Amino acid sequence: MSRLDAKKPSLCKSEPLTSERVRITLSVLKRIVTSCYGPSGRLKQLHNGSGGYVCTTSQSSALLGHLSVTHPILKILTTSVQNHVSSFSDCGLFTAILCCNLIENVQRLGLTPTTVIRLNKHLLSLCISYLKSETCGCRIPVDFSSTQILLCLVRSILTSKPACTLTRAETEHVSALILRAFLLTIPENAEGHIILGKSLIVPLKGQRVIDSTVLPGILIEMSEVQLMRLLPIKKSTALKVALFCTTLSGDISDTGEGTVVLSYGVSLENAVLDQLLNLGRRLVSDHVDLVLCQKVIHPSLKQFLNMHRVIAIDRIGVTLMEPLTKMTGTQPIGSLGSISSNSYGNVKDVCTAKFGSKHFVHLIPNEATICSLLLCNRNDTAWDELKLTCQTALHVLQLTLKEPWTLLGGGCTETHLAAYIRHKTHNNPESILKDDECTQTELQLIAEAFCSALESVVGSLEHDGGEILTDMKYGHLWSVQADSPCLVNWPDLLSQCGCGLYNSQEELSWSFLRSTRHPFVPQTCLSHEAVGSVSNLTLDCLTAKLSGLQVAVETANLILDLSYVIEDKN
Amino acid sequence: MLSSMAAAGSVKAALQVTEVLEAIVSCCVGPEGRQVLCTKPTGEVLLSRNGGRLLEALHLEHPIARMIVDCVSSHLKKTGDGAKTFIIYLCHLLRGLHAITEREKDSLMCENIQTYGRHWKNCCRWKFISQALLTFQTQVLDGIMDQYLSRHFLSIFSSAKERTLCRSSLELLLEAYFCGRVGRNNHKFISQLMCDYFFKCMTCKSGIDVFELVDDCFVELNVGVTGLPVSDSRIIAGLVLQKDFSMYCPADGDIRMVIVTETIQPLFSASGSEFILNSEAQFQTSQFWIIEKTKAIMKHLRSQNVKLLLSSVRQPDLVIYYAGVNGISVVECLSSEEMSLIQRIIGLSPFVPPPAFSQCEISNTALVKFCKPLVLRSRRYVHLGLISTCTFIPHCIVLCGPVQGLIEQHEDALHGAFKMLRQLFRDLDLNYVIQANDQNDTASLFICKNSGESYQVPDAGNGSIQKPYPDTVVENKDELEKTQTYLKAYSNLSISDVELETNIPYSTPKLTPADTFQTDEMLRCLSLGKNRLIGDYEALLKSSSTAYSTRGNSRIEICYENLQVTNITGKGGLLPVSCKLQNMGTSPSYLSSSVPAGCVLPVGGNFEILLHYYLLNYAKKCHQSEETMVSMIIANALLGIPKVLYKSKTGKDSFPHMYIRAVHALQTNQPIVSSQTGLESVTGKCHLLTSVLQCLTKILTIDLVITVKRHPQKVHSQDSEDEL
Repeated sequence: MSRLDAKKPSLCKSEPLTSERVRITLSVLKRIVTSCYGPSGRLKQLHNGSGGYVCTTSQSSALLGHLSVTHPILKILTTSVQNHVSSFSDCGLFTAILCCNLIENVQRLGLTPTTVIRLNKHLLSLCISYLKSETCGCRIPVDFSSTQILLCLVRSILTSKPACTLTRAETEHVSALILRAFLLTIPENAEGHIILGKSLIVPLKGQRVIDSTVLPGILIEMSEVQLMRLLPIKKSTALKVALFCTTLSGDISDTGEGTVVLSYGVSLENAVLDQLLNLGRRLVSDHVDLVLCQKVIHPSLKQFLNMHRVIAIDRIGVTLMEPLTKMTGTQPIGSLGSISSNSYGNVKDVCTAKFGSKHFVHLIPNEATICSLLLCNRNDTAWDELKLTCQTALHVLQLTLKEPWTLLGGGCTETHLAAYIRHKTHNNPESILKDDECTQTELQLIAEAFCSALESVVGSLEHDGGEILTDMKYGHLWSVQADSPCLVNWPDLLSQCGCGLYNSQEELSWSFLRSTRHPFVPQTCLSHEAVGSVSNLTLDCLTAKLSGLQVAVETANLILDLSYVIEDKN
Repeated sequence: MLSSMAAAGSVKAALQVTEVLEAIVSCCVGPEGRQVLCTKPTGEVLLSRNGGRLLEALHLEHPIARMIVDCVSSHLKKTGDGAKTFIIYLCHLLRGLHAITEREKDSLMCENIQTYGRHWKNCCRWKFISQALLTFQTQVLDGIMDQYLSRHFLSIFSSAKERTLCRSSLELLLEAYFCGRVGRNNHKFISQLMCDYFFKCMTCKSGIDVFELVDDCFVELNVGVTGLPVSDSRIIAGLVLQKDFSMYCPADGDIRMVIVTETIQPLFSASGSEFILNSEAQFQTSQFWIIEKTKAIMKHLRSQNVKLLLSSVRQPDLVIYYAGVNGISVVECLSSEEMSLIQRIIGLSPFVPPPAFSQCEISNTALVKFCKPLVLRSRRYVHLGLISTCTFIPHCIVLCGPVQGLIEQHEDALHGAFKMLRQLFRDLDLNYVIQANDQNDTASLFICKNSGESYQVPDAGNGSIQKPYPDTVVENKDELEKTQTYLKAYSNLSISDVELETNIPYSTPKLTPADTFQTDEMLRCLSLGKNRLIGDYEALLKSSSTAYSTRGNSRIEICYENLQVTNITGKGGLLPVSCKLQNMGTSPSYLSSSVPAGCVLPVGGNFEILLHYYLLNYAKKCHQSEETMVSMIIANALLGIPKVLYKSKTGKDSFPHMYIRAVHALQTNQPIVSSQTGLESVTGKCHLLTSVLQCLTKILTIDLVITVKRHPQKVHSQDSEDEL
């Protein structure tokens, strides 16, 4: 009867951003995300209070996925960050922090939403066009002939996720593995349109990270007993593979919409089994060496195949079907009757392997773009975090292949960009304002809010009470330890900037990031020599950062534009 | 007992309700409007500036509010636009009525009547007023629209006969529409997207049927992608189906496709039949037959060059397998909407597998330009290059946004825009009554009707500007003489330069440079030919375009743009409407005419101010007090919209200044210069006004609202008859 109830009226609130509750919840969210940011970020433990799964993380995707947000405004913010992460994997925390900062900074100004939104949009397009321009001073081209930059990129991603609990050596090992796994998915003789393969991550928990490895081909997990039954094949040529997507269990497939009347003594099960054995005979006569089935194979058929020295593996599951099809070049068979001869595929070899306590059948391809990344970590939570990180890194590498540029990491891009925007709005405000109804003062105010939002994102890289400085030539970020003595020679205290490109031995002048500075022109156009000479750079993915920037500003604009919130109480 | 549960249905109560609603919707109206965030009971969030959505999301409890929301949603179903304006109109109308009662209450108080008696008396009065409203709406309003307002109408078409549409005027129309519908940082982008989409989908022969198709199937014609910035939204040629291939075989060259609505594999036993199995061999044979049959059908399809199979049902593994063997791509489980869209575009009927092995030619196949998977943010879609057999060239809109709520808002707005265009491309019928027993009245009406032509005379003599006007068919010959005389009278009254000079400074107390310039231009324009008609913009266009080159003032630019559109209509010259006098004599004469398709007016409350002005004029001429009152109330309520729109403006752009300028321009027969660019549909406005007045009459006829304790149940006519 409850369905007949009239609906409860909704709750309607005007000017939601001015309410104290919203402000408090926003600042709580901001504190959560800022404290996670960067290599020295603090970890968060998420659990539901009644036991069960505990997640220890500092990644936005895991964090926001587990948080249950109730306020509609926060929901907009978190879902837009989550949507960004699910399409670019990286820069989720950056997006969330920047968005919170922008909302907070702009609210303090008390300008009308129209002006704020219009100017924010202008500043955003200024940033985007600078980051995409040839003169950009924080963008590095990716050289695919050497692994240096790609390794730096992967290493930066791994080090920024402290919950993976990796030592330095382990980080090096895993970065190399990830890069190898990525390179294995690139087809060798690609012309024109490249279709990347896939790296499958195989879990191996409770092992040392150093034991992780990459293998070409596919690993299918199996119990030891099953594995013992498999007979070794000795064959010099490639093995013929048949891959079934239909069930071979002997169930009676659907008999249509009408009724089927059986005479006494007629057994349909026998009839189907006969059919299956016929199929087995057909496979044997076609010289198939390996039969794989997504679903279940009838034990009798299995035995029949084994008798004829054909390996039969069933219950492969739907997730492995696509990589298997791709690797072996088969056509998944959906028929118990005749099989077209070009439906068969092949593999180079099949062998058994044991990693840790697990047993696998290893299908080795002739030449294919499928590889398996065996990933080990000490415990479940650390493994989950490492797996997420590996997926992020692989995705970032794919994005970099599409757009072969990277940005300087470690906060240097943000400070540099802020310096550029300050300089632009200060020296050339007419070009930004053009025909708008906004005044120069409004532009200065908003630009300051925008730049300080960018700078406080990188300000949150420092969690141990240290200070953050910026130089007045490149606009890069430099950090100082917390307990360093005051009023000493800066070059002695500072060694390298955030991204590692410059060191303090140059003649530079510094200023605290929080203090006000005169706008200056940050040096544009990176020299290739400078980049080539440094082996250990911290880098960020260009595509992900650009989109993160856009999503953060767009979402902030959206939230600032709200005049009412209507909450459905049903 | 009854009185405790029943509340008097009064104007006051209705006014209170609508004022609350007005407060909410007025924050989203117009270019300065802001967003509202709604949560659904499922926890999803939705951003909206769509009045209809907001009213629904509120889940109002008050009975009158619920009635108003019902009226709004039935109006929206028809037009897809105007929910916010609806509420604002209604609120102002109720305010006007309330003010009248307040005035009359004082006189009633003296009479010392019992409370109940007064209520009933009030109700009688409301009923009376509502009848007057209804009469006014059905008999008078259309007449004013036709006879006075129509001469101000512009046309969106660059050529009236072929109904061709030029991009710049469509842009103006859409930009104004999206201003009120999507967030202010996105409206330009979305309106450009819509414009692109419109011109990509249309062929030169396309007509209203394209709008109908897009409006009906809009859900299938767009794809939402979350997690990308809005600026990544784009238009893709061809049709995108929101599912993946069950089997994909790359193919090029001559690709043919078939549509099926049932499984290709023959059923083991048909429904309703009984299949008696006597032996295992029989079962095996029939299984074998099924396999061979399926194989043969798929082979046959291949031999006919069919490389794509679209199916509305799930096909068995067997079919998919043989499709793969034969290089046929398969897409399964298409919804009925997708199927009907595809069939509408390519006009293809479903393929039915032949009952026996026959190698006949398959007639119902269609050629496809391409068929390939499309990856949008790691999700795969089916991308088909259909070759259209109708006037619609298939294209899809990919809408991107950081959150689903925003994408839904854009989708909603785009759909609404197509509804609006669909309406705009239709003629709107106008029917009204003229009380012909009063001869003078009729005469004056006709004169006003023909005044466009009477102005024409001096121009034609000049020969400088040719303006073809469609001939106005007036079957009443007797009136012609009077028209002539009136024309003489009018030309005597023609405005002298002196008058103008005295008038203009009055209308603009503060003379800013831009203003003086404008009045100068108008003066010059008027002095060229002493009494140019209102519709003659060409001279003004010329002068203002020269002004544009000399002074880069933004205000002049706007003026220039506006005139460009008007110029287009000038050439088409469809504005006056053919009018037939159906009934002559002394009884009331019923006239019917129409607002032609594509009529628009500049945005920014132009329609409201024009109608307001002519309603006031009409009220002055009225003899009956009821009619005067009704037209006064409507006229004043109409100003509600421009008041909201100009709320944030100050100085000479504020509402009072704008209003005085506009009225003065009307009195002196000059064009109204609007400070905003953009156009809006007249048809939509007319529909809206009618709906609001109907809603108001509904409210006024209710005298008592009774709360019942039972659950609201639908009354079934059959049941009630049985009970009786």
